[in-house]
Amino acid sequence: MLSRRRFLSHTCKLGMASATLSSSLLTLGLARTAAAATSGYRALVCILLAGGNDSYNMLVPDDAGQFAAYQALRSDLALAPGTVLPLAGTTASGRRYGVHPGMPELQSLFAAGDAAMVANVGTLLEPFDPAAFAAGTASLPLGLFSHADQINQWQTGVADQRIAQGWGGRMADMMQGMNTANGISMNVSLSGTNVFQSGNQVTEYSIESTGNGATGINAYNDGTPFGDFRKQMVDDLLAVSQPQIMRREYGRRLRNAIDSQAVFVSALQASTPPTTVFSANPFSESLGQIARVIGARNALGATRQTFFVTVGGWDHHDEVLNNQARMLPVISKGLQEFRDALFELGVFNDVTTFTISDFGRTLTSNGRGSDHGWGGHHVVMGGAVNGGQIYGQYPLLEPASPLDVGRGIYAPTTSVDEYFAELALWLGVSAADLDQVLPNVRRFYTPESGTPPLGFL
Amino acid sequence: MITVHWLGTRCRRGVMVLSVMLFLSGCGGGGGGGTAPATPTRAQLVDASTLAARATFGLAYDDIVALAAGDSNDWLDRQFSLPVGDHVSVVDGLVARRNAGEFAPFETDIELLVTFRRLAWWHRTVTSDDVLRQRIAFALSEIFVVSDNVDALIIDPYALSDFYDMLLGNAFGNFRDLLLDVTLHPAMGVYLSHVNNRKTDPVRNTFPDENYAREVMQLFSIGLFELNSDGTRQLDGQGRPVPTYTNNEIREFAKIFTGLSYGGAGQFFGNPVPYFRAPMVMFDAFHETGTKQLLNGTVIPAGQTGMQDIHAAIDNLFNHPNVGPFIGKQLIQRLVTSNPSAAYVRRVANAFNGAGTGVRGDMQAVIRAVLLDPEALAPPDTTADFGKLREPVVRYASLLRQFGAGSADGFIANTGYVLQALSRQHPLSSPSVFNFFLPAHQPAGELAAAGLVAPEFEITTSNTVIGMANLVDFALLGGFVTDATAPFLPVSLDVSDYHALAADVPALVDRMDIVLTCGTLSAATRQAIENTISQVSDLDIRVKLAIYLFHISPDYTVRL
Repeated sequence: MLSRRRFLSHTCKLGMASATLSSSLLTLGLARTAAAATSGYRALVCILLAGGNDSYNMLVPDDAGQFAAYQALRSDLALAPGTVLPLAGTTASGRRYGVHPGMPELQSLFAAGDAAMVANVGTLLEPFDPAAFAAGTASLPLGLFSHADQINQWQTGVADQRIAQGWGGRMADMMQGMNTANGISMNVSLSGTNVFQSGNQVTEYSIESTGNGATGINAYNDGTPFGDFRKQMVDDLLAVSQPQIMRREYGRRLRNAIDSQAVFVSALQASTPPTTVFSANPFSESLGQIARVIGARNALGATRQTFFVTVGGWDHHDEVLNNQARMLPVISKGLQEFRDALFELGVFNDVTTFTISDFGRTLTSNGRGSDHGWGGHHVVMGGAVNGGQIYGQYPLLEPASPLDVGRGIYAPTTSVDEYFAELALWLGVSAADLDQVLPNVRRFYTPESGTPPLGFL
Repeated sequence: MITVHWLGTRCRRGVMVLSVMLFLSGCGGGGGGGTAPATPTRAQLVDASTLAARATFGLAYDDIVALAAGDSNDWLDRQFSLPVGDHVSVVDGLVARRNAGEFAPFETDIELLVTFRRLAWWHRTVTSDDVLRQRIAFALSEIFVVSDNVDALIIDPYALSDFYDMLLGNAFGNFRDLLLDVTLHPAMGVYLSHVNNRKTDPVRNTFPDENYAREVMQLFSIGLFELNSDGTRQLDGQGRPVPTYTNNEIREFAKIFTGLSYGGAGQFFGNPVPYFRAPMVMFDAFHETGTKQLLNGTVIPAGQTGMQDIHAAIDNLFNHPNVGPFIGKQLIQRLVTSNPSAAYVRRVANAFNGAGTGVRGDMQAVIRAVLLDPEALAPPDTTADFGKLREPVVRYASLLRQFGAGSADGFIANTGYVLQALSRQHPLSSPSVFNFFLPAHQPAGELAAAGLVAPEFEITTSNTVIGMANLVDFALLGGFVTDATAPFLPVSLDVSDYHALAADVPALVDRMDIVLTCGTLSAATRQAIENTISQVSDLDIRVKLAIYLFHISPDYTVRL
């Protein structure tokens, strides 16, 4: 799979016999890699909390003044006093924050410098201006507060268009050539088709969280006479040229799935999986499978990868307290397990994990839950992360906040473009190519500035 | 020739291990070998099969012959008048058996109760005579989405069976009644959280829940943008689509949907115990009383009762010009083709708007317009874009319906969990209110470059595309047709009707081309299938292998 961008043949110094690399990737991506003295491998792991996590109850004020303001705003949605798990340190403004009581692992990851928080991130087309918003002259993302648009924009990074390609897909269009050409996409999904990993040329390779991740056609080429027969019948069927465009697409998907599965499973079987134990739930199992795939990176010929996993069910219009008390611990524990497995594999410095979600939610209550909001808080984790800090600005909670656009919806103070730019640059996108990945990034950040947008990597 | 030495397929997913299975030819009922009194022409058979593929979960050959012998409009009229094959009574029967203790020995590690609505769905879908109604209800369930990924909707077997019966009951009625019944159904009240939604409380600083207000507009009636009657978007002076509503309208509609709680005995507002067998009821003391600004300048006066408000809001949505093209296009996509022309959408929207009938929202007129549009009836063209990828659920239900699924007691016991694990699809079990796939999904690559949508490809991944192939293999060649185990009896397929035909390989493939590919099998695919099945001497296995190869072929999975 070839990138649209300029390429040149290059003998790679990183253990691969040869690969095609975008020349501009070399300049920053590999330089940064060398500086970090890593294996040369890098991966991003995107965790989508689908439905809009009520993250003002995930990262919570923990000093008396702001906690009182939080209680007043959140009414029956406020966590009980004294239950928030404090994060080490204070912000520049002297305020203190903590995490949801169900997230002790996140608390300790933060304390150990393995994780950081990014506060009040959201989709924007320009830095938020309360006066312009009130006057109706603000340039605003399409379909603000709506799941369909916002979950899409959190994956595309393009808030002024409705497009089907994500920024992970656009990175893969550039970077796929860094991996061995064996038919396996550098974008691996544990949650099927998704916008984040869909590019113009490259789309996701979809695997399961269980077993070897990919199942082949029953008995296909399994070494028995019947397996030979099965292979012949399926191959003959799929060798037929299909004039109809959807038939062609279906046939291609089945053919590619069969071929990729053989490569993928043999690579996994040739590699030693980490021994870290993952909890028995779909999220932890997905992270466990990702760790296993990362452990097989050499056999897979993978130098750059992204992984995608969705955890659904965060649209808590009701029962937000009970639901988060059940669901946030799963995230917290899963992150810790994943950290341990990556550490065991010796790649914790090479893998950066981050969360996204449709939006934050209303600070105010609907009597049982919260409604669709805008800015929200997020977790980043990895050895490359400058952990133990809160990046961006956590808004001052107050009545009639200038950020409140109605019903306790707080406008973002950091754009998704900045958040994603930091991650894309770290993965190896050059400053010169950043516009290709995040076309609106210059509204918030100058790629040539030489400093990262937020500083967490 | 490979003689009968079939190695059974082995399920690698740990669900179960299948032993070597050889089917003995049974004495099949139905006499499907072509004994119809007046033999329709091949063209008539192909037309009938095409209609059946769109309008039903699949018809067996004899039923296709019967359909071909008559008129499509008459067939629709008969279908419109058939009694509802309801799901709740199937659940009732299962609950009665459970209450009698029949299932107790089998419930040690699984609560069977949660499977009852799934068992009812499969039994009715495979066996019920109201084939059009069952298919339309499924299409509606992909627009008015509720899902058993919410605990309250999985533990009570009536939550989703009653909801489905509501869809079945409204499938041939009027869209306004459908929209009202969806709004008041407690399963929807739970799923989109407007049950026990209360009015603004300034003291507690709480506001009405906006969830249902948003989705009833975005997904169930008018969509995000003002539409022309042909389904294309209206554009403003700068070429941008025009939103149908803003967050202000959402907050106004949110006030409408306050004050509802469960019906049934001992009802009170705030009742935390769901009751799914009656519509939600209004408690005016908890309903927001002020004026409400609806769409298109409509203002609801203060002081109306809650139900008056709801009726006014439903009327406001129902009469919006978007509904015909918005809902009509989705029904075309679910039943006929992913990329209908604007003219096709307009004709269906006109039917919705009352052309011909004088009645707005007449579902029978809409269904007739969708299925019998000239564009749908045009001869298939393998070089054109017309057509759609079959959904996994429809593929699998069709396999059972078309090839003699039966059991010793006549009950088709399937939970669908294996299908769901392999395909990421099961009725009333989508991951979110946005269904299994989006109507506008564009697969990257050739389809996106051509500007085409192909929604079903969103769940056609490297895993599911193989998973579906293996599922069909399990059913046909492994004997693993359904996934329900004791106390339920196994289901088997019976293709003995085809045995006589199977000695003549081209004749067998001809017949399968009519039944499965609606006459669109390409010469090259035919050649590949014939070459393979000719190597198998056992006629039963030859038939089943032919069905397997059809089912995984692009010629079948994408119907034109």
